[in-house]
Amino acid sequence: MRRIAALLAGLALVLAGCGSDNDSASSSKPPLTVSAAASLKKAFTEYGSAFAPATVRASFAGSDELAAQIRQGVKPDVFASANTTLPDALYSEGLVEKPVTFAANELVLAVPAGSSISGLDDLAKPGTTIAMGSKSVPVGSYTRKVLAGLPADERQALLANVRSNEPDVAGVVGKVVQGAVDAGFVYRTDVEATGGKLKAISLPADLKPQVAYGVAVVKGAKHPEQAQQFVDGLLDGAGRDALDRAGFLPPPAT
Amino acid sequence: MLRVELQATRASLDVALTVADGECVALAGPSGAGKTTVLQTIAGLFRPERGQVVCDATWLDVERGVDLPPERRRCGYVFQDYALFPRMSAWRNVAYGIRARDRRQRALALLERFGLADRADHRPGELSGGERQRVAVARALARDPAVLLLDEPLSALDPRTRAAAARELTAVLHETGVPTLLVTHAFDEAAALGDRVGVLDGGRIVQLGPPAELSARPASAFVADFTGAVVLTGVAAPGPDGLTAVALDGGGTIVSTDTLSGPVGASLYPWEIVLEPGSAPSSAQNHLAAEVVSITEIGGRARVGLLAGQPLVAEVTVASVRALGLAPGTRVTATWKAAATRLAPR
Amino acid sequence: MSGGRPWFTVLLVAALTLALTFLVLPVVAIFVDVGPRELIASLDDPAATDALKLSLQTSVAAIALILLVGTPASWLLATRAFRGRELLITLVELPLVLPPAVAGIGLLAAVGPRGLLAPLGVSFTLSTAAVVVALTFVAAPFYLRQAQSAFAALDRSWLDASRTLGAGEARTLARVAIPSALPGLTAGLALAWGRALGEFGATLMFAGSFQGVTQTVPLAIYERFATDFTGALGLSAVLVCVSAALLLSVKLAFRAAG
Repeated sequence: MRRIAALLAGLALVLAGCGSDNDSASSSKPPLTVSAAASLKKAFTEYGSAFAPATVRASFAGSDELAAQIRQGVKPDVFASANTTLPDALYSEGLVEKPVTFAANELVLAVPAGSSISGLDDLAKPGTTIAMGSKSVPVGSYTRKVLAGLPADERQALLANVRSNEPDVAGVVGKVVQGAVDAGFVYRTDVEATGGKLKAISLPADLKPQVAYGVAVVKGAKHPEQAQQFVDGLLDGAGRDALDRAGFLPPPAT
Repeated sequence: MLRVELQATRASLDVALTVADGECVALAGPSGAGKTTVLQTIAGLFRPERGQVVCDATWLDVERGVDLPPERRRCGYVFQDYALFPRMSAWRNVAYGIRARDRRQRALALLERFGLADRADHRPGELSGGERQRVAVARALARDPAVLLLDEPLSALDPRTRAAAARELTAVLHETGVPTLLVTHAFDEAAALGDRVGVLDGGRIVQLGPPAELSARPASAFVADFTGAVVLTGVAAPGPDGLTAVALDGGGTIVSTDTLSGPVGASLYPWEIVLEPGSAPSSAQNHLAAEVVSITEIGGRARVGLLAGQPLVAEVTVASVRALGLAPGTRVTATWKAAATRLAPR
Repeated sequence: MSGGRPWFTVLLVAALTLALTFLVLPVVAIFVDVGPRELIASLDDPAATDALKLSLQTSVAAIALILLVGTPASWLLATRAFRGRELLITLVELPLVLPPAVAGIGLLAAVGPRGLLAPLGVSFTLSTAAVVVALTFVAAPFYLRQAQSAFAALDRSWLDASRTLGAGEARTLARVAIPSALPGLTAGLALAWGRALGEFGATLMFAGSFQGVTQTVPLAIYERFATDFTGALGLSAVLVCVSAALLLSVKLAFRAAG
């Protein structure tokens, strides 16, 4: 009986330990929870490990899903979205502080490195397979803006070739890399992150959507000071550098 | 006709047996002696290292590589716990082995023969032990088998049902004329059902013959003990008046009309022993002073356990017990005839 | 067995209450959060009906495959002794403990567009067939495990009796083994079906998400959750009801047969 009690006590300690910081005692650096769009993965992971004031714990998913969580009461410290619509909406709902646009990106057509596809017209050809983001995720809504600019029959033919509406851009990238589809609509930064497996085809200038990323400190965040420092660093500092390295463009002039 | 020979490492079996048409042979022996293995070999559920089974065709010949699967052998097998299919009614169980279109009618006809026509739609779980046994036998006979195999056919029945079931079974067996081999651990069951009884000891059949012969002239002490006799061990040598004297282990001497010498088992039946008070001699040639150890009354008889250098059991009437004032600890003399003492080598 | 010390009984009751609450609360919350009329209205949407139809079709197909192939396979494992049997059983149970994401990766590596079997012309992706493959992979071990232990627990004398009555192994399996093992088999069936209905991760990675083709109910819930929480609740409620109905009907069927 005593042995069982000791075992349970030990187990409880271990579990308690799992909950706290990975590194040294919790008094040194506070944790900072960041919810960020999937396309920010590489840049934010780099920035997070170099961020001095706090230990950054970032989770990446479709921006729409992260926004929905915040609406349900989940409170990360920082919310970074692949568009400005979602942060603005949350701001008007009183869930986040005033958002700031911190980066721009380019929506491109990604194809495997040796592909013969060279433009949008190839996508309308029968037999071509395409992946894109779902309606509500930023990359998906950007893509649909592009498609809206196409003539109706080309748009129909293209849509007929869509084989998957992924919940986030990482899924789209994955499908193209696996060879499951011939092409996918992703961000330029995602193509660069594949290290040469995929190549990016620029979209016609008149169809290209403006892709601006917005970030906001969440109201009721546990560590608002560090959160603000994180945001500042994205505009000018280690964060900016990480974004540049990943291929993000500076925020569009408003 | 069935002929079986087998040698197997399981239970060190080395058995050869022939069962004639219309005959029932009972193979008796203690648990673990390999009796069920013999049945399984005939049915094709076990393959011995060496052996042959010939019935209406060669079913098994290990040397020549013949080994018919069970479904191609025409065996009727009644398992120890009957193995009736639990989710099928009685008639469906019986009809399971019948392939003809009128399987239901045939199954019902068989059940009728066993007096179970009105129980035909009941599942095994709803039948009594005796009824289940009859369904199992009916099922085994449904396929018109060339040989019938029974594993402890009566042991699962309560004592009251057993006698009636034994009579019924014997009648059915003689009616069908199918060669039958049954195995049992109880000699009285073997004697009741079998035309011949074989005793299995150490993997071999040590004696095979009509039950009366096994009782009257057991080939060994094991057989004698198995047939329910009292067996006293000792050393035999020629004695007075042409009788054989046996010096019993534990003390005492008895005589027998059998001629044998050396280590023997002297066997006699409990009902052949007469108990007399104290140490009063009588005309019987054998007497042993003994002490009463236990008294068990069954029906109107009493089995009295005795100790006289060796244990023995006497079966007397309850009246005798009262008359002699027997109780544990009482000293009596056990007496019996020299002719009732059968000697068998040990 | 009567209760022992009173404090222990209290502990037991507390543990059960905790467990029940934990398990039941999320399910109850689905129905309580939004009124029934709104829930039903949210289902009046082609995306929802497509997802429901697809989930049913693909899970039924997966189950059919599992039953057809899994029953004889588990019979073999249960009744024949051979070297390496224990290892085979463990291998067959492996997907049980595999995280769905790993299952997705594994399926891609094996039968994806660039998988092991792709040069032989065997590959699936982004199609309803791919969904069926994913569901079969994750759900099969649930059935196999139950079926194997159900067959192994059968009284050998029934099987022997069937053989002596002229039935070969195939007939014995069909007429004696399966009916007798039915409770275990249907339990396995219910578990496998429930698992197949709920599969998300492997389906998303291996088959993608496209309305009417690969977007099963769990994938549809995931998509709706971001923009239409009520809609997500609606679909979830339906799935809960379908799963509960499934479990109940399987239990009733088993009780009727037994």
